[in-house]
Parts: sequence; C-alpha cells; structure tokens
Amino acid sequence: MTSDQTAPRRPGNRRPRDPFQRSATGFVAPGVILVAVLLYLPLLWTAFLSLTEYNGLGDPEWVGFANYVEMLDDPDFLGSVLNTLLWVAGTLLVPVGIGLGVALLTWNLKGGTWLRLPFLIPYALSGIGVGVIWSFILSGDGALDQALAAFGAGDTPRWLVDAPLNTVVMILATAWQGVGVNALLFTIGLQSIPKEPLEAARVDGANGLRLFRSILWPMLRPLTAVVVGLSIVASLKTFDIVQGMTKGGPGRASETLALTMYKETFVNSEYGLGSAIAVFLTAVTLAASVLYLRQQLSSKHGV
Amino acid sequence: MSRIIRTTVLAVLGVLWLLPVYLLLVNAAKAPETFTSKESWLPTDFSLFANIAEAVRLSGLAESAASTLLYAVVSPAIAVVVGAAAGFAIVALRLRHGFAWFVAIFGGTVFPLQMILLPLFDAYSRVGLFDSRLGMVVVYTAISIPFSAFVMRNFFTGIAHSVFEAAVLDGATAWRIFARVYLPMASSALVAVFILQATFIWNDFLLGLVLSQSDTVRPIVTSLAGMQSTYGGAQMSTVLAGGLLVSLPTVVLFLFTQKFFARGLALGQY
Amino acid sequence: MRSRKTPIALAAAAAAASLLLASCGGGGEDDGATTGTLDFYTNKAAWEPDFDELNAQSESDVDISLNTTGYSDAAQYDAFIKQSFRTDKSPGLFTWQTGPSLAELVEEGLVAETTDIWTEAVDQGWIGEDLKAAYTFDGKQYCVPMNIAYWVMYYNKTIFDEQGIAEPTTWAELDAAAAKLAGAGITPYYQTSTLFTFPWFQQLVAGTDPELYNGLATGEVKYTDPRIVEIMETWRDQQDAGWFSDAGSTVDPAVGLKQGDFAMINFGSFFNGSLDGAGMVSGQDYDMFVIPAVNPDLERTPVAVESGPLCVAENSSQKTLGLEYAKWWMSPDAQTAWSAARGDVAFNPQAHVNDPMLEELGTTVAGDGYEAYDRYYEATPTPILTVALEQFGAFIADPGDPLPFLEAIQAEADDYWADQG
Repeated sequence: MTSDQTAPRRPGNRRPRDPFQRSATGFVAPGVILVAVLLYLPLLWTAFLSLTEYNGLGDPEWVGFANYVEMLDDPDFLGSVLNTLLWVAGTLLVPVGIGLGVALLTWNLKGGTWLRLPFLIPYALSGIGVGVIWSFILSGDGALDQALAAFGAGDTPRWLVDAPLNTVVMILATAWQGVGVNALLFTIGLQSIPKEPLEAARVDGANGLRLFRSILWPMLRPLTAVVVGLSIVASLKTFDIVQGMTKGGPGRASETLALTMYKETFVNSEYGLGSAIAVFLTAVTLAASVLYLRQQLSSKHGV
Repeated sequence: MSRIIRTTVLAVLGVLWLLPVYLLLVNAAKAPETFTSKESWLPTDFSLFANIAEAVRLSGLAESAASTLLYAVVSPAIAVVVGAAAGFAIVALRLRHGFAWFVAIFGGTVFPLQMILLPLFDAYSRVGLFDSRLGMVVVYTAISIPFSAFVMRNFFTGIAHSVFEAAVLDGATAWRIFARVYLPMASSALVAVFILQATFIWNDFLLGLVLSQSDTVRPIVTSLAGMQSTYGGAQMSTVLAGGLLVSLPTVVLFLFTQKFFARGLALGQY
Repeated sequence: MRSRKTPIALAAAAAAASLLLASCGGGGEDDGATTGTLDFYTNKAAWEPDFDELNAQSESDVDISLNTTGYSDAAQYDAFIKQSFRTDKSPGLFTWQTGPSLAELVEEGLVAETTDIWTEAVDQGWIGEDLKAAYTFDGKQYCVPMNIAYWVMYYNKTIFDEQGIAEPTTWAELDAAAAKLAGAGITPYYQTSTLFTFPWFQQLVAGTDPELYNGLATGEVKYTDPRIVEIMETWRDQQDAGWFSDAGSTVDPAVGLKQGDFAMINFGSFFNGSLDGAGMVSGQDYDMFVIPAVNPDLERTPVAVESGPLCVAENSSQKTLGLEYAKWWMSPDAQTAWSAARGDVAFNPQAHVNDPMLEELGTTVAGDGYEAYDRYYEATPTPILTVALEQFGAFIADPGDPLPFLEAIQAEADDYWADQG
C-alpha cells in the first residue's frame, strides 16, 4: 500500500538537513496569503464586532461578552443548534451514504459513466432552479402530493410546515443536489486504488462486502476524509435551501445556526449578536473539522 | 453483485433523480397565462423559448454572461494550481507544521460566507475593487482555494514519496518536480476540482450581489435572482426557464467532461 | 527555487497595499453635477425594467438617466445600503422603508433633506399633505415617495359571480361571503406562514380600532391586551372554520387566485401587475374592493398604505444629481410615466393612471370616508416585527390558544421599549 511506504521515515531524521523547507514555504504561501487577506481578515472584523453593540450605522460600542451571554440565554438558540445537528447527521447519512453507494455501483461497470450522470446534473443546476423546483414539489398540494394522490394516498403530511419533518425533507432536497459530487469524489478515490492488492484479494476469494471492508474501505480513507470533512462543514453552514423554502419557519421551527445569525445581523441589524453567533458557529465548525481531520489524516500519514 | 443488478439499481435510482429535472423542464415550458400548479406532471404547452426570451429581457442577463464565463474559468484555474502547490508543499516537500498550515487554509471555508460579506464590501470599495472584474476574480479565487487545497493534498498522499525522491536524485528542482511530475499525475483530480469550482462560481449569487453593481460585472445568477420578488416579479415559469438557461452551460460541461472523469489515473502503480 | 519567490513577494506587497488603502476614510465629495447618469439602488429588483423604461422620459425632461442595481433580498439590501454610507459608494439615490428604519437614518444624519422639494410639490398640488407625515422628522422632510400602494382585497370575479356574491361593503357582508364560499367548498382567503404573515392581523386590529393599532406601534398597547387577545380569537375561529388557504402551499399567490385555490387575497395594489402576468384580465377575471372596517361605527374606513421612499445619501458624490432627480420624480410627467411603466396607483393627483381599476381606487381612497394608516410592516419597530412575523407564522401553521404567541411578541416588545426608554 502506498501510504505504508511513506510511514517508516521519521520526521526527526530528515529535518536538520532538509533542503526543501524554503521552497515548501514558497509553495504554500500564495494559498495562505490569499485566504488570509480575503477570508480571515474580514472574519477578524466580525470577531471584533461580536464584542460590541452595533446596528450597522455609526460606530460599534464595546460591550464585552454581553452578546454571548444573550445568545446562550435565548431558548430559541438551542432549537437552532439542535436543527443544525440534525442537518449534520442527515447530511452524513444521506448524501454521503448514497454518494458512496453510487460510486461503488458504477465502479468498473460498463456504462458507469453514463449511469452516474443523472446524479451530477442536479449539481450543475443553479441554486435558484433547485429552490424553486423543490418548493414546487413539497408545496401543499404540490407535485409530490399530486403524485401520492395518484397512487391513492389521501392525507399527506404537511411537508414544509410540521417540524422536524420540514428539516428532514429539506435534507433530502439537499441530498438530491449533493449526491453527484460525493459520488464523483469517491469514484476518483476508487480509480486510484492499485490493481494488484485487489486482484490478490479476489484470488483469495474475497468479494462483495468482504472485499469492501478489507480492501476498498481502508483504501478510500483519504477520499472519505475529504467527503466527510466537506460535508460536516457544509451542513453546519446550511443556509440557502432553508432560507429559500421555509425562511426558518413556521415560527422558528426549522431555523439553523446560519439562519439565526443571518436574521440577527441582516434583518434585526443586531450586528454584535449576529457576529457572536457567527463566531460560535465558526468555532464549532473548526473544532469539528480539526478533530475529525487529525484523526483521519495525521495519524495515518504523519503529515 | 452482478452487473445486471447493479445497472438496474442505478437506472432506477437515476430515473428517480431525474424526476425533479423533468418537472423543471415541463413547468418551464408552460405559458405563464395558462400556468396552473394543479397539473405539475403534465406538459400542457410549449412556450419554453418565449419564457427564456422573457427571462433574458427582464433580468438583462445577456450582458452578464461574458464576465461570468471569465470568473468561472480564470478563478478556479488559479485556485486549482495554488491549491495543488499547497498540497505539494505539505505532502511531497514535507513542510514543517504541515498539518497546521493545511488547517489554516482549510479553515478559510469553515465560516459562513454571509459573515464576511460586509467587511469585504467595505474593503473592496475603499481599494477600488468594488464592481470590477479583477475584484470578482480575486475573491472567487480565494474562496476556491480551501477546497482545491483539501482535495489535492489528499490526492497527493496517494502518491508514494519514492516518486519524489527518485526525481530529486535525478537532480530536478522542486518547481520542476511539481510542474512535470505531480501536476500531470494529478490531472484527473485537477480537472474534477476545476469543474466543481467553476460550477460553484457560475452559480454564485451572494458574492456577486454584494461586490458588484453594473450589468457588465455582475455574475449571471445575481442578475437572474433579481426577477423573483414579492413586488410583482416574473411569473413562475419564466423564473424556471431563466434558471434552466443559466444552468445549461454547467450541465453541458458535465456531459462533455464525463470521459475525463472516467479515465482517471491509477496512482498506485508509481 | 529563486523564481518561486517573486509571486509571493508580489502577493505580499498587494496585501500590504490594500491594507494601507483600507485605512483611508469613507464618504465622497458631492461633485455638484446636475445632469448625467445617476447610480440607483433598489430592493425592488423586479421593477428594474420599469425604471429603465422611465429613462427616456427623464432624459428628455431633466437629462438624467438611472443606472439601476436591484436587490431581491430586502434584508441583505438594507445591510448593504447601511454599510455603503461608510464608503465612497454611498448611493446617489436609493429606495428605503418609512417608519423606524427611515428614522434611524435621519437620526444619524445619513440622508439628504428634501424640505424644499416637498414645499414646492405641495404648493403645486402635486402631492397631498397627508403623505407628508411619514417623511417628516423634527419638522423637516427627508426623501420623496417612490410609490404608494393600498392594501386591499383582490377577488376572483368568476368565483364571486358563480356564487352570486357582490362586493361586500360592510364587515358583516364580508363574513357572510366567506361563510357562503366555505359552505360551497371554496377557500375564502389566502394566507402564508412565511414572511407576509401579518396582513390579516393588521386588518382585524386597525379595522376594529385604529387607536388600538397605533398603540401597538408606539408601545402604549400590549400585545397581551384583552382586546388584542379577543381579535386573535376571532382570527382563530375563522381558521377553524376553514376560511384560510393551506399554510404549506408555496404556489405563487397570483396563480393561486387564478386557479381558485382561494377566492380572495389581501394584497398591495401593485398586485395588478402579477395578476395580469398570470393571465388574468383586470376587471373581467379579477377585481378588488377596499376592505370594510370590522367596527361599523368607525367614521372612516381605515386603509393600510405602503409608501416606499426614494432617498439621497447625505455624503454621496452624486447628492446634487440625486436631489435633482427626486425633484423631477414628484412632477406629474414623471408620475404619469411611472404609473404607465409600473401599472400602479400614482401619488400625484395630476398624474394620469391608465388602469381604470387603479384610477378608481386612487379616487375612492382619497375620499372623505377613508383614512390611510401605515402598514404593519413599516409601522412596527424591526426587532418586534421580526418576532411578530415569526409568531403569526407559527399561529397560522397551527392555530391554537393565541396567548403564548402574543406573549412571545410582547416579551420582545418589552425588551425593545425598555432599551428605548
């Protein structure tokens, strides 16, 4: 296995006379600088705002941690956190799971490329189209209800009105768009698996689930890390689809953290409170990704 | 599993996946005057082209097309190379504290975009980047870097370090190894990342909304989104037709690059 | 390896330069131009083609044309405009809301005064005095009205004819019409559980007692007031009677009225455009009436009015140009052209309105028996409004005991008024 070949080299042995450290810095710098200037710098301003009272006009007024206290005091904030967790769990289960399934099913299959295409098309659609079409499908007496009625179903659930059903159906709508990308990434991973160990395992009589567990799954780990890592981040930030379909309602029943943040900042002009929620969300996302990535990546590859 | 079962499962699932696309097509083709939401599944008439023309007229998105194409090509192209360079530094050159640098770049993607919009607008209008194509290219590049660095870094971990060492023994410089060995090996991943990011940028709405203003700089989806509004916006089928038109280039892109995705590269052989 | 350093050095230099530049102050100098192209921002993005259409008229009259940028998300738009005051991109002309949000800008000295324009317009008889109040702060005027919309009841004429229902002139007649429709299996009223959740509440409260309605806006009346609770119970009884459409429907309201999902919809008078677009014919397929007051003893029937201001930023480089345009905007020529482009009522009585239905509405509401009041959306301070819209939405989704919903709104109101204290 490729990764094992790199493992025996202990970092300590090569550092003293490593001629490539300087060029390594050069290679990583453009990325770091661009991200720092365009993404982190604005974020610092947000972090500063979270410690102030600011309505978007005039000057921010320093209030210390008052916004964080207010945030944690709000019972609706907890609801928002729970909805967000539901999104994380749902996104890992549905789009990632189906994505892996599609990648495995199309792997080495004649015509697999074309069979994968239906899943990729939704990803290529613009967000507006996706939002409008799913509102259309899930609307009361909408396309889904009409189809169910044709099959004889009488009373259908109120998809977008009753919580937590509305969050569940919105996760499914997101999955519709996201499965293709995950399938594609997993496919790249599968294609990079060397032929020899596979053949060897096949000769040993491994196939189906056992082949998957013993060879494919471990080999897919780097790609799984990518897909799961990106999914965690994306699901914690869920905004567009909820804003497009329920606006977090009815009431605040389907609000996610990103939506709460948006509402406080843009609708209520509570920039300080909105920023505090953003900082909280960022901290959670960063912690989740670092914990996850460190476990997935660094133990294995010593990077 | 036998090939027939696999093909059948995929075909059924694929048809299920295409149903919403079917709904999109059918309803985008209905004339606004006769549109009802009662017969969503049935095609009633074919006014698709009239609807598209109306969408173009209302949103003025024809003017946005060229600049959007520019953003969707240039930014991901730069981002893919920059991201690959970072991955190369961390994995092949074994940059000290590589994981920390990796997290620093990846961290650029963890916070909600909405949070940095206003500071970005503020900074952009002060340095004269507001409503300029350069400004849009720069921000789209920055926003695409974390993803490409993430994928490329992980892709490079699949390449045995002996490949790098062999090249060093041949006397190649780091730059040469990157450009002549690693980039070509990663071409399928580079293209995949490029296409995903190009699609993301093509469909971007938020950054275009806040950082641009004139029709010639504004990206296409931002122009399109203006049609929808409580205050007497366009009709449903017009909006759908516009959404369809805007999505066409990316769908075609996916269709034509399918072969490339499929070819792939067996990294393990190195 | 050396060559790798150049791009990094460049990037670092660019970053440093941008930081340096970023420390420069905001706001522009008024360049004093009175003709040319005026940058205009609006949250009514869908109206962009109408503004463009108007350019022909404004170019020939005052040699100014608008370069319009439309935003479709109202909240994002507000944040963008507020932020732009800090930069040299502060707008020469932009749309805004009346009520507390305009007061906020005036307090900070961010919008240009328009007292002279108003004085002249009132003298010329271009605009009624009653509209002036919403634009007056400390005796001075700011901004000019961009548009005006009355919130009335639209109805599907075919359904009304089939059921033998005439336009109701009293609340009792309206109730009877709704009961008759419901009896025939037709949903009387439209409703939605997202965003526009307030119209029926507004209608019920203002139609019962305008003072009570104003009291809510100023904080003198609590949402938990027994009179408000009673009104909410009326609303719930109507919900229980099946008078309102499916809260989970996302069908475009214009299409909903066309296909008979409901027979009536309470909407702003800009709705004609949507209905025409959906293929209904004004006066033939649909018509409208002013909603009668709940309380028959009221001397004048209250009509909700929405008026969107057109403002000029005080520190804009196009301040003079923006004010020139604002002045022209008030004129009968401009208003005639606007009404033709947009298909809406005009605030200028000397302007000519094409659609006879809208022409008639304008004259009716201007008559003695009617009294305009600010729409709930503009009259209510934003933080209270946000919670109220959410709570009404939750109530619409699951109508029940109104008190918990009202208590939630009042809790926010208490906080807000305490802060203002």
